[in-house]
Amino acid sequence: MRHAQILIPALALAMLTGPACSPQQGDSSAPAASSASAPPASGAAPAPAPSSSPSAPVVSDEPISDGGAEQLPDETLPVGGTPAPEPAATDGANFAHHPAGDLIPGSGSGYLDRTIWAPGICFPMEEAGFANSQVYDPGGGQGPPGKPSQCDSSNYSLPWRDNFCETRGYSSPLCVSGKGHQGQDIRPATCQKAVHWVVAVESGIITDIGSYTVTLTAAAPPHRLYRYLHMQMDQLAVHEGSSVNAGDHLGKASNNFGGTATTIHMHFEVRAGISGTSSDGKPVVLHTFLPPYMSLLAAYQRKLDGIACN
Amino acid sequence: MQIRPLGLAVLFSWLLAADAGAQRTATPPSRLTAAQRLAILNQAAPPPAQTPPGGVDWRTVAAMQKRTQGAGQAAAVGLDQAAVDRTALPILLPADAELMAGARLYSFGDYYTVTANTPGGRVSLSGTASTIPVSTPLNLPPQGPGQLIVQRTVDGQLASFSRYGVLYTVEVRCNSPADPKCRNEAFVRAVTAKSNVLVLGAAARKAAGLGY
Repeated sequence: MRHAQILIPALALAMLTGPACSPQQGDSSAPAASSASAPPASGAAPAPAPSSSPSAPVVSDEPISDGGAEQLPDETLPVGGTPAPEPAATDGANFAHHPAGDLIPGSGSGYLDRTIWAPGICFPMEEAGFANSQVYDPGGGQGPPGKPSQCDSSNYSLPWRDNFCETRGYSSPLCVSGKGHQGQDIRPATCQKAVHWVVAVESGIITDIGSYTVTLTAAAPPHRLYRYLHMQMDQLAVHEGSSVNAGDHLGKASNNFGGTATTIHMHFEVRAGISGTSSDGKPVVLHTFLPPYMSLLAAYQRKLDGIACN
Repeated sequence: MQIRPLGLAVLFSWLLAADAGAQRTATPPSRLTAAQRLAILNQAAPPPAQTPPGGVDWRTVAAMQKRTQGAGQAAAVGLDQAAVDRTALPILLPADAELMAGARLYSFGDYYTVTANTPGGRVSLSGTASTIPVSTPLNLPPQGPGQLIVQRTVDGQLASFSRYGVLYTVEVRCNSPADPKCRNEAFVRAVTAKSNVLVLGAAARKAAGLGY
């Protein structure tokens, strides 16, 4: 309730005095304005408002129940695990969020460690962003009944929620089952595609561009590899071989998925070479997926605190 | 100041949503200062990346390179020679002229990746001598010979293996998620199996004691 109490006066003022919403602009079920869905601004710089340029494309997008995109229809989802217990200590972020590893009940077992695997990164969205699940939240293939719209206001509101290790059939060795979601889903400031910029989280080189993926390899050791999925691929600001600085535009958040569409979100992965021990005690070295949630929490907190990422 | 009916309706619905959202918020807003929050966040940084014990096995690299030098020169044709020369690692490429045609090398000295086109997708071949130590157990399927670990990704297959003290990866990425090359391990395993051509640029040759 505290967030609501903080936000209500400011929001009420903004909504009562601000420009009228045009019925032609966007999905009527989307949050009315990014300020309504942006994180609380108490004691912190507010997240930038979404682009309001008259020339900015406003693309209406039909709600999609995508059946759990990123998982082919004939690849069955493993049975979800028990919800992870809630870690006790604070993680330093002061905007509303569920703790790392606390997945939506029934969606799998999260990764509880609080390591920030990619310290100092920029938040990958230029404006506000909402980390949650595009499969288990409204509009997703495993979403709650009676909430078929991906533009449901709860998808564009706090609190954030981790979905690394969420139930999938893909390899993810840091997850309890060895399989799970390999990144974090982040919805942009509003439920509009091809409007909100996605930015480089570190300086580096774009080393691969696929039909719905962009890969950024960081210039600084240990050369983490960041993968951005589902941007508007025909409007990218980069090409393979582009050198980028942290914070540079890469493209716009969308729903591209190699010919089909997913919900409007950005799937964000962090990868690196790691060394450790397998569950049967053997030393192993491999390149794999690291939990992004804590790194994103820290990045977003810095953004809210007005600390430049680059 | 004009009150708009639409604004009131949206405000009311938002308040309901905000209240519901707040009730399921697990972590209440903190009263910590920004500096305190950052201090907490900084404590959670990972251990620094480290080189595997023993580092790069340059002796074996040098011996292997002498045996495959001709193949290495052929495989590296078309790669940016300046990028090859600044790579202080043994670059491992597949003996596959068709795959390597038009391949691009991106090098950071202590890390490189080669991106090559394949019908319907791309293959990336990377090498690094630095890894981040992870303390939690890694839940992996049984490993094959040479510690080859293959992971299914959203758009393909990712194979990792260690050779000469270097962590190498071969990743196949497909434009269509249903492409058989990416849905099963056969293709990535085939590319990995023929990735035995060593290429040493100036920095690597120096490290291997082979001169420039």
